[in-house]
Amino acid sequence: METIDARDLACPEPVIRTKKALENSKDGKLTVIVNSTEANENVQRFAKNQGCSVKAAEKNGVFTLEINKTGQAPEICQAKAVVMLIASDQLGVGDEALGQLLIAAFINTLPEAKTRPMKMLFINRGVLLTTEGSRVLDSLQKLESNGVQIFSCGTCLNHYQLKEKLKVGKVTNMYDTVDSLLNADNVIRI
Amino acid sequence: MKYGVILFNTTTSVMQAEKILLKADFVIKLIPTPREFSADCGISIRFDWDRNAQIKALLEKEKANYEAIHPLVVNGV
Repeated sequence: METIDARDLACPEPVIRTKKALENSKDGKLTVIVNSTEANENVQRFAKNQGCSVKAAEKNGVFTLEINKTGQAPEICQAKAVVMLIASDQLGVGDEALGQLLIAAFINTLPEAKTRPMKMLFINRGVLLTTEGSRVLDSLQKLESNGVQIFSCGTCLNHYQLKEKLKVGKVTNMYDTVDSLLNADNVIRI
Repeated sequence: MKYGVILFNTTTSVMQAEKILLKADFVIKLIPTPREFSADCGISIRFDWDRNAQIKALLEKEKANYEAIHPLVVNGV
């Protein structure tokens, strides 16, 4: 079994090394050592997306991840980290009612798609979609239960006085938003 | 769950029908018009098929402008 020491490596290097090692691994078994929470989460998520089981142990901030490629990658394809930035409660620019109709149909279609985003970030009026009164809540909840991470901008929730009305996903800040966008393979901006 | 789909000719008609149905507390969903149907509008309304009769009656009563109602056999969107 191969061991990858990915301590002190900047993101996304730990994930890249894990990916390469997994591809070249004969028995599908791998131990990855990292020493940041971020790398720990990223490597674990990557491995799980590849259909691997992960046994994690932490000691003094050092994470030892035992990765075991048990089966095939799940049928749902998530080879690339696609991040969707939803900065409006409308799809496209034009008639407001049409824009709202289009974004509802768009989000309602996502749970059925073969590929799904890793993350959906809702900012500015986008948070109207994740809060009470949104007509796409059940689709977003379905996406979340299928592993899509859903985040709403905290500043925006406050601004629109919707903080108490968040119905799906978690609250995020600008640091995480910037990080997510810069670490994405692909950003889809709505 | 078997669904039905309401097809429309214009987005304005979709919005009008959506308003009527939501006001009457029907559980509906806006979806892209399924590929097997052709309608002038690319957006349709999906509903639980067992409410078919009530929905049809309400749309008629409110003189909503829809093109057709079809059962949706596939467990689509």
